[in-house]
Amino acid sequence: MARYAMVLDTRRCIGCHSCTVACKVHNGLPVDMIYNPVTTVGPTGVYPNLHQVHIPLLCMHCANAPCVDACPTCASQKRDDGVVFVEDKMCVGCLSCVMACPYGARTLNDETGAVQKCDFCKERLDAGKKPHCVNTCHQKARIFGDLDDETSEVYKLVNSENAARLLGELNTEPYTFYIYGLEVKNP
Amino acid sequence: MSKNVDLEQEGVEVRKSACYFCHQNCGVLAYVKDGKVLAIEGDPDFPTNQGGLCCRGNIALQHLDHPERVNYPLKRVGKRGEGKWEQIPWDQAIQEIAARLNGIKDEFGAEAVATAGGTQRTDDWARRRFMNLFGSPNGFHNSHLCWIPTFMVETAIYGWCPFELDMGNSRCLILWGQNPGAAGMPEMHHITEFQSKGMKVIVIDPRFSETAAKADLWLPLRPGSDLALALAWINVIIFEGLYDQEFVANCCEGFGELADHVEQFTPEWASPLTWLTPEQIRAGAYMYAMNKPGNIQWGTSVDQIGKPAGSAMHARAILRAITGNLDAPGSDLLTGPSPDFITDEEMEANDRLPESQKPKQIGADRFKLVTWPGYSRIAEETKKVWGKAPTAEWMCEAHPPSVFRAILTERPYKVKALLVSATNPINSYGETKLVLDALRAVDFMVTCDYWMTPTAALSDYVLPIAGALERPTITSSYGCSDFLLASQRAIQPMYERRNDYNFWRDLGMATGQKEEWPWETVEDAYYHRIAPLGYDAGTYDEFVELYRFHFPEREYFKYQRQGFATPSGKVELYSSVLKDLGYPPLPPYIGPSENEVDDPELAKDFPLVLTTGGGFMPYHHSEHFQIKEVRFLRHEPYMDINPTTAAELSIEDGDWVWIETKRGRIKQKANLTQGIHPRVVYTQRGWWYPERDMRDPELGGCLESNTNVLTSTADEHCDPYSGAWANRGLLCRVYKVDASNLKGGK
Repeated sequence: MARYAMVLDTRRCIGCHSCTVACKVHNGLPVDMIYNPVTTVGPTGVYPNLHQVHIPLLCMHCANAPCVDACPTCASQKRDDGVVFVEDKMCVGCLSCVMACPYGARTLNDETGAVQKCDFCKERLDAGKKPHCVNTCHQKARIFGDLDDETSEVYKLVNSENAARLLGELNTEPYTFYIYGLEVKNP
Repeated sequence: MSKNVDLEQEGVEVRKSACYFCHQNCGVLAYVKDGKVLAIEGDPDFPTNQGGLCCRGNIALQHLDHPERVNYPLKRVGKRGEGKWEQIPWDQAIQEIAARLNGIKDEFGAEAVATAGGTQRTDDWARRRFMNLFGSPNGFHNSHLCWIPTFMVETAIYGWCPFELDMGNSRCLILWGQNPGAAGMPEMHHITEFQSKGMKVIVIDPRFSETAAKADLWLPLRPGSDLALALAWINVIIFEGLYDQEFVANCCEGFGELADHVEQFTPEWASPLTWLTPEQIRAGAYMYAMNKPGNIQWGTSVDQIGKPAGSAMHARAILRAITGNLDAPGSDLLTGPSPDFITDEEMEANDRLPESQKPKQIGADRFKLVTWPGYSRIAEETKKVWGKAPTAEWMCEAHPPSVFRAILTERPYKVKALLVSATNPINSYGETKLVLDALRAVDFMVTCDYWMTPTAALSDYVLPIAGALERPTITSSYGCSDFLLASQRAIQPMYERRNDYNFWRDLGMATGQKEEWPWETVEDAYYHRIAPLGYDAGTYDEFVELYRFHFPEREYFKYQRQGFATPSGKVELYSSVLKDLGYPPLPPYIGPSENEVDDPELAKDFPLVLTTGGGFMPYHHSEHFQIKEVRFLRHEPYMDINPTTAAELSIEDGDWVWIETKRGRIKQKANLTQGIHPRVVYTQRGWWYPERDMRDPELGGCLESNTNVLTSTADEHCDPYSGAWANRGLLCRVYKVDASNLKGGK
């Protein structure tokens, strides 16, 4: 069984939002629903000594997923391969999971009454493909794979670079990792 | 919710199509069943995008069948701009348009018909072919702002313009006013790859752009001061001994004159003009000259600075030459035109335009480089060495602002008809109010487009054009490179859309060019072009399916075998071609079109420096504002202003502000950012509001936030070489929109 993980290499991300749009159109999301926004921090500093970083966000697919624990109907589930998803027929829209998620990764669909979120395009994973956001990224800033496979790129990156977890102190153990660069520009 | 489509189902075919929403033409795989596109994704085997697609690429299906698309030929029935249309058959439209054009030709001469082309979204050679056979020299194009003046200056200096970068072998890349991080994703990907292997990246840009943020050196110069920077770099490279002595001695003419000429242009001289320190200027020159081989990526910003543009291009070309970064491994490569396949120029039938019509080309008397005088001279030299000429459709154009003025003033003569294909002049050409007046005044106008744009709304006929997935595409860098990438249509055009090729062909046949259009479909024409390559393919589609690319074997140092395509066969730093055309043979210093040094009085009223030219994600030029799946990312127009300046003007983040030049004012929202100099403002271009009333005078709010209201096309602001007008480096002022100034004076 695979253990899926995504690495977001902010050294490569340019904040183009291709992933955001690809996800929306391929998953048929309403306009106000975004699974994976890209937030831009900066430019920080004072002109012309500046720094900027783009941070793509998405469901962190936590090993200890508080959303799954919070769900009273068992609609929020975690697969053996680590993918956290919502079984929408079972969701009653109570928003318990929305409040439990520290990453703001869940949104209620007003039309269907169910909560939705990124599920790593699990149907594609089952068909041997990668999530849309990964495929579409020109910059190869999103790296996806099996963290149990020592030959995989995600394994190598997580274990060789300074890969961090967002809000690591909460011990939710996300399987989404971030790599930051230390950039000092312009003398 | 339409979840992921099952692409494994029976009957699904995969077509090797292309995205068409910018110049990159990324390879796309389209999954098609029963004539419908079920899904698309980036083609992982395509050499440029390697599976990636940007925002625009991903909305292909939203574009394909958007409810706002024009799907049938429309004929105006009300007053011009009133928004009343009648749906008519294509054949009727073609016959009526042809009759009108022939009537105008009989009465006023063929030159009274002008055409406006867009940014390589079309088979430009077909429009040119139509115009040559019709007998009019007055095709024009946005290409004046898009690298074409650069192409012609560089070709004058060393016989072709470097189009291909050898980045894999390069140690330094200069991105001169270019931001592939928001405008060219495949390119940015390659830059990131090579940068991680040690290539240095220098970004010259007033803005802390997406790309500047990743650069090894960012040079935030005053907008429009590129020429001062380039001259100072030449000074440093020559007088601090960084030039390539062997290349200069063996391959260049006029080095002594150049050295004498640039002695005055020290970094200390350039510093107050560029707003960079002498140390910053030297750092850039050293980084480029000491990290050999190096590239200067082609970009369009210098084409858009107006008055100093031609001289700046000349100076930039000299930088490549004196560092020996021409056609050597890792440097800028002079590929020349393809000797193997039939180029765009060979499809254009330029020899069919009567000699007597050439002098009538509007603007050719003043702006000689990108019109028949310069084009003929340069084509003559390139044919001697390469056997072929550059594409005339781009490099030999009427001067667009002068055509708009001719419509209004009837000088130098009457221009009665305008055929618009794949462009929206109201948003894309300079000085919008002039353009708008001209479009309202022209006797007869036809627009071929996807959408009812502000320009289309003023037309007599609007014709529905096939989009990315509905047409084949050959990508060959405007016919100026020696390679070719081929893509096929995913489906036949929906509704009654047609390829622009078919429009020009049908119109040509209806105006009396029957024998001249032997290729019934675009695919037939493309097959004719690739047939000489000798691949084992019986049709164009078969070529795409089996081969798709043609990359000839790369040969470096071609000049050692054949010389440079200049009169002397050498790189002419001191340019005999420019001199023959009446331009300075060495690049003189010319200040930006409007600037605080030459116009101190103007600078008192308009104290800030404006730059308008930057592309930004997710739009391309004035496109895609209809598509909600990208519009949500940038719902409204934003201009960048430094927080210090904003505070002085009592402007807060998100406030609507007026940006005003001598020519008018527009509204955009303030984006307070440290990423811009306190004396510079940057406006987003292209803005109009397709959700608003599309009738005249509202026309989708086309004056309200459109940055081209601010730009200048006055002859004295244009580049004297090419006529390129001023989009960057103009003087402006900014103030908050409030109740007291809300109305009037747009």
